[in-house]
This record gives sequence, structure tokens and C-alpha cells, in this order.
Amino acid sequence: MDALLAHLDYVAVTIVFCTGLYILLVRQNLLKKLIGLNIMETAVFAFIVTTGMVDDGDPPLLTGELGPLFASPLPHALVLTGIVVAVSVTSLALALIVRVHREHGTIELDELLDRDGR
Amino acid sequence: MRPAIAALVVGLVALVLLAGLIALPEPGAPDSPAQRHVSAEYIDGGSQAGGAANLVTAVLLNYRGLDTFGEVLVIFSALVAVLVVLASAPQTGSAQPAQRLAPSPVVAFIVRLMAPFMAAFAAFVMISGAHLPGGGFQGGVVLGAMTILLAVAMGRDRVARMLRGGARFWVRAAAPLVFALVALIGWASTGWWFGLPGPGPFRDALVLALDIAIGVGGAAVLAGIFLALSRE
Repeated sequence: MDALLAHLDYVAVTIVFCTGLYILLVRQNLLKKLIGLNIMETAVFAFIVTTGMVDDGDPPLLTGELGPLFASPLPHALVLTGIVVAVSVTSLALALIVRVHREHGTIELDELLDRDGR
Repeated sequence: MRPAIAALVVGLVALVLLAGLIALPEPGAPDSPAQRHVSAEYIDGGSQAGGAANLVTAVLLNYRGLDTFGEVLVIFSALVAVLVVLASAPQTGSAQPAQRLAPSPVVAFIVRLMAPFMAAFAAFVMISGAHLPGGGFQGGVVLGAMTILLAVAMGRDRVARMLRGGARFWVRAAAPLVFALVALIGWASTGWWFGLPGPGPFRDALVLALDIAIGVGGAAVLAGIFLALSRE
């Protein structure tokens, strides 16, 4: 229990991640599945940024007063990359969903599968 | 998947994740692995090797310039893929243009009033990204959001007409092109791809050019994706 409390940030991240995973698994609407995926991505970004945080640390800027403790710049730079990739994935998925709707008239996964006779 | 089975799966995943996460150092601990090794090197090297006082910018534009080059290529490819997926589809009978609701005059007026300020803020974030929190991507997102707001308030056609054919192509490809150019300049002046010359106005100019190219190109790509999707 103490370990859980000490890692409260990570517990919160896990809850957000699992919320997204549940939405992704259960919802049949493709748009809602995509929103679930985005929630999972947000949880991962929050986790990576949290690992870069230092208690009482300064932001990694070399212009102002420099304290003894710095936040790590690396996780922030990597999360920026992750966000860009997430945006790209989301936009491509949206385009594919638009295309599916145009060809089949629905974006409900169960209706799409029924139509194939499965 | 049935909700009960999904809940079971999610519960198992949560257990595995928690078991792993509580074995990590506590968040905010100064001696965690995330703060040592590579990160410590970057902070030690500082602006001497990094090219910018904002170490996040330094990591993005110099230490990991190749990564960032890949990053701008990824988002540019996303735009190309979106355009291809939406353009090559045969129109079926059911696809009739959706009823477009004009936003209220108040919203449209406020958006148009605020747009210059948003653009100025985006420019500030891009230009000051070398030594303050900010940078090309952040400024690009602000600029892209402004363009999308304008498209919602004034109609997408008026925004789409702001940049015509050729110019639109070059602006959308600005980030990868400028990155490739800077990589060549770095190779010519230091012998390393994406190497930046020593501290001085030349290096500041290169970092600024990269930030502005990422910002403007990123905004154009975001707006392009929105415009392509909103045509439906």
C-alpha cells in the first residue's frame, strides 16, 4: 500500500491507460475506438513526462538562475516526438474511418462484420 | 468484445502495469535512471554543444536532429496519406454534402478579432523557443489551431483559398526541406550531419530557421489535414 501511495502519479497513469484500453476493446464505433486509443496515448505521455520530473528541480533552461537540480530535458523531447506520431496516427485513422463510412455507410464494427456474413 | 471479458483483460493489464510501475524509483526522485546517464550528459554539455539555451530545443534540434527530421517526415507523410486515402475513393450515392451550420456571428467575430493575436503568440513561441519554453512544434500547433478556428468561423473555402496550389505545396513541405538543408549545411561546416557550427549568430540563425520551418510547416500540415477531413 505504501508503495502504491509513493507512486501515486503512476497509479493515476495506469487508471487512465486502462480506461482507454477498455474503451478500445468494448466500443463498436470506430470513432470511439480511436478516442480510446488517444486516451491510452495520453497516459503514456503523462508517464514519460513524469519520469523526467525532479522534486524542486528547475526547468532545463540555461538562461536564468541555475539551481542544483534540473528536470531532465530528454523525456520532454521524446514526448514531443510521441505526440507528433500520435497526431499522425489519429489523422490517418480518421481519414480511413471517413473512407469506411463512404464505402459502407456505417462505422459500427459489428454491422461491418455482419455484412461480411461472419 | 464482451464488456465482462474486456474488464477482465483490462484488470489483468492493470495488475501487470502496476506491478512494474511500483518497482520504479519514486516520481521526482533526483537519482532515478531517467535523470542520469544520457540526460546528465546533455545537461553537462549544455548550450556549448547543444545549440540552444532551452535544453529541450537543444536535444530536439541538435543532439537528436535526425530523430526530429524523422518526426517532421512522419507528420508530412500523414498529410500525404490522408490526402491519398480521401482523394482516391469513388463517390457513392449516399455521400451528399452535410448541412453546414453557420456559427453564430458572435463566435465568428471573436475568432476573427483574436486571430492576429494568436498568430503573434505563435510567432513568439516559435522565435523564443531557443531560450524560453516553447519551440517550433508548440508554435506550429498554436498557428494550426488558429487556422482551423478560422476555417470553422469563416468557412473552409475562404481559408483554403488563402494559399494557392504551388505555394501551398512548398509551405506544407517546409519543415522536411529546411531540415534537409540544415543537415547539408551542418555536414559542410562541421563534417557531421545536423552538426551546428560553434556558438555565434550563424548557429542562432540556423536554430531559428529550423524552429520557424517546423512551426509554419507543422501548422500548414495540421490545417491541411483538417481541411481534407472537413470536405466530407
